[in-house]
Formats: sequence, C-alpha cells, structure tokens
Amino acid sequence: MNSRAPRPFTLLAEITHRCPLHCPYCSNPLQLASVADELKTQDWQRVLREAADLGVLHVGFSGGEPLQRADLVQLVATARESGLYSNLITSSLGLDSQRLDELKQAGLDSIQISFQSDEEPLADKIAGTSAHRKKLEAARLVRDFGFPLTINTVLHRYNIERLEQIILFAESLGAERLELANTQYYGWAFKNRASLLPTRSQIERATQIATAAKKRLLGKMELLFVVPDYYSDRPKPCMNGWGQKYLTVNPVGEVLPCPTAHEIKSLRFDNVREKSLGWIWTESEAFNRFRGTEWLPQPCHDCEFRKVDFGGCRCQAALITGDPSATDPTCQFSPQRQMLTDFVEGSQGNGNTSLGEPDKLIFRQNAKR
Amino acid sequence: MQLPPDMRPKLSSRARLQTDKVTGKPIVLYPEGVLMLNPTGHAIVSLCTGNDTFQEIVAKLAARYQKTTEEISPQVAEYLNRLRERNLLEMRDEKPKK
Repeated sequence: MNSRAPRPFTLLAEITHRCPLHCPYCSNPLQLASVADELKTQDWQRVLREAADLGVLHVGFSGGEPLQRADLVQLVATARESGLYSNLITSSLGLDSQRLDELKQAGLDSIQISFQSDEEPLADKIAGTSAHRKKLEAARLVRDFGFPLTINTVLHRYNIERLEQIILFAESLGAERLELANTQYYGWAFKNRASLLPTRSQIERATQIATAAKKRLLGKMELLFVVPDYYSDRPKPCMNGWGQKYLTVNPVGEVLPCPTAHEIKSLRFDNVREKSLGWIWTESEAFNRFRGTEWLPQPCHDCEFRKVDFGGCRCQAALITGDPSATDPTCQFSPQRQMLTDFVEGSQGNGNTSLGEPDKLIFRQNAKR
Repeated sequence: MQLPPDMRPKLSSRARLQTDKVTGKPIVLYPEGVLMLNPTGHAIVSLCTGNDTFQEIVAKLAARYQKTTEEISPQVAEYLNRLRERNLLEMRDEKPKK
C-alpha cells in the first residue's frame, strides 16, 4: 500500500444523476450522466464491499435522486452486510411507506431530506417543481418509521432571510440534525452565482441567528452553519484534505476525491469498472495529485495554516483562477483574492431577494435519455 | 448539563455500537460521525441500555474497576454529557417494559 494513503472514512455513492427537482444551486456537473451509462447493481455492490474493506464507515446514497434507482433497497442491504452506516440523501420524492418499510428492513440507518425553504411557494419556485407538500408528508413518514432525520436546506439570497423560520420548521418536523448549507459555487450553482450569492448584511444576520439557535438547541438538534467561502478570510479545509478521508463514486463509476472534482478538467479519474477501489484510492494519479502538503504552492507552502486548511479547495482554485494547484482564492493570502472580492462587492447591489425574475436563474435539467 | 441521577441513559437509536473492521476496536457510528472507544468508554457505553440509572451505572463500573463511586462518578458524568451533547443519549425515566 502506498504509505501516503491514509484510511478513508466516508464514501459518497452518487448512484444516479436523475432528479425530479431542478434546483439552480445544484453542484452536480453541467454534463449529467444518462441512465444508460450508470453503473449496474453488482458494480455498486462490489464498490460498497471494497469501501468497507478499505476502512470506510459511512456511506451516503446520493445523486441526483437516489430513489430513482430501483435497486436502492438492494444496495442498502449490501451496505449493512458490510458494516457500513448508511444515510439516504434524498429530495424524498418517491419515498412512500412501502419504500420506507423496505429500506428499514434492509438496514438503512438514517435519512436526510432536502427542503428548499420552510414555506411552499418559495420552496417550489426554487425546486422548479411542485414538491414541498410531498416532502412534508415524506418527512413525517420518516419519523413514524423511527429513522433519524436530518434536514438539509441550501441557503442563498432568496431563502436566507427565512433562516429563523427554517430552524423552527426543522424542529417541528422532529429533525435531529439541521444542515444549513450555504450554496457551494460549483456546477449549476457556479453558473448562477451572481444571482444566488447572499449580501454581506444577509450573511451577518444569518450568522447571528444560527449561533443563537445552535446554543439553544444543544443536545436536542445538531445545527450546522458555516459562513460561505466567499465571505470568509480563510479557505475551508476541503474534504479535510484531498484524498485523506473521503471519496465519491459518481453514477458512471468514476472515483473522485470530492463530489465536484469534475471541475478540474486536467485530471483524469479512474473508473471502478476497470480498477479496484483500493488501487484508485492509494495509487491513482487523481488521488495523489493534491494529497498531503508537499505539492502546495506559495504562499501556502510556508504558511502556518497549511495543516489546517491544506490550501483550501482545489475545485474553487480551478474554477476561479484557472489553475487547480493555486491557493484557494477565498484565502486572504491568495494573490487572486481580489478577483473574488471584486465579485462579492459587485454583487452587493443585486438587492433583489424575491424570485420575481426567475428567468435570471438557470434551472438544472436532466440529461437526455 | 446536569445528569439526573435517577434517569436511565440509553444509547440513541441513531447510533450503532460495532467493532471496527480495521482496528478490531469498538466504535459508535452515528449520522456523519464516529466515536472510537477506549476500554473505559466501551464499558460506559455498553451500560447505556436504558435499564440502569446513572447511579447504578456508576456502581457497576466502580465494582468492575475496584474504585469508589465518589472517585469515578464525575468522570462517568462527564463522558455521558459528551455523548448527550452529540445527541447520542436518550434519557428514560423508567425501565423499558418487557
């Protein structure tokens, strides 16, 4: 085994890109995989077993919408047999009592449902389809079946002012965990970033609300809120370091060090149809390219924070500077930080926080069959 | 947070105690997280079944490690509080009905 490769802990299994929603903040790639190119059941089962053998403990079934795969229950059963703790990351569209019963029998451990907002008109506008009411029903069923429930709401300019209501809403659904995830500007979201990025005053207010709620809910509901990169002085320790703990397998079988690594056009990702997961994790060029801290450019290489943030996010560096090995431009020490600051300042004037002109947003579309 | 002495802590249904394939050691898995348990942690977590009160758990551990309950009570409380803050403990006020 390559001595530089540590033990992976988490696998994100993006089993399909098909999705009934059209959220403009989606971080899936613009080129979505079609159903004909998706991995087959036995390929996924092998991936799950190999992941567990490598030391992976958590698997997230995601997408796209994982419920679109008819073999989801089978895959969950394989995850359980392999000792993995499984989480279904879902829009919940298509989650009825029969499916929940089957998933429970198969050993699914927890469920995460996305809500676009706490109120129906706004939520449906963002999802690009009528979904909110069905989600409410599904969330109640999930609790009736005794699954631990996480609510995930992706925050942006149009819903961040409802933060207080969103928190109360998650509490009322009996959620044990609430992820208030600021939009990550990759894929479709990057295309829409000028419309989605909250203003500075929105972020300040949201931070206050989240901090107070976190304290109030300690021991009852776990609450996650991180200030978005663009407003931060320091980059996020993306994936806790490239190739350190985390891997994604996408619908066609490519193994990625992070879900948005497709943004790095110069990297080639090995496929589980051709290589074992273990080989890809330890030996492949993509996983070793930014592993550790030796490759770091200046100013990261001599920076006291290099083992805190590992130079930040490679995808962000690639998207904004054109160079995936540059310092993450969200960092205050990045020579390119000004580009991002100019963008942030330039977007402050877009004070429109209603979705009155949704034509400005580009909604996600599935691949042609 | 105060631990009521007559409450019966139970490992939350969102958590799963199992043996780690790689190290052979006990771990607790929960949504987005894992606790690697040392032998003492394992002993404490194993007693969080909802059957024993906090006082009874302390008494059992004191007997096993040949310490007084006064000696170990603060450490056990601290450990349980850490679990509780992660939302990994349910507090029952009566024994589960058989």
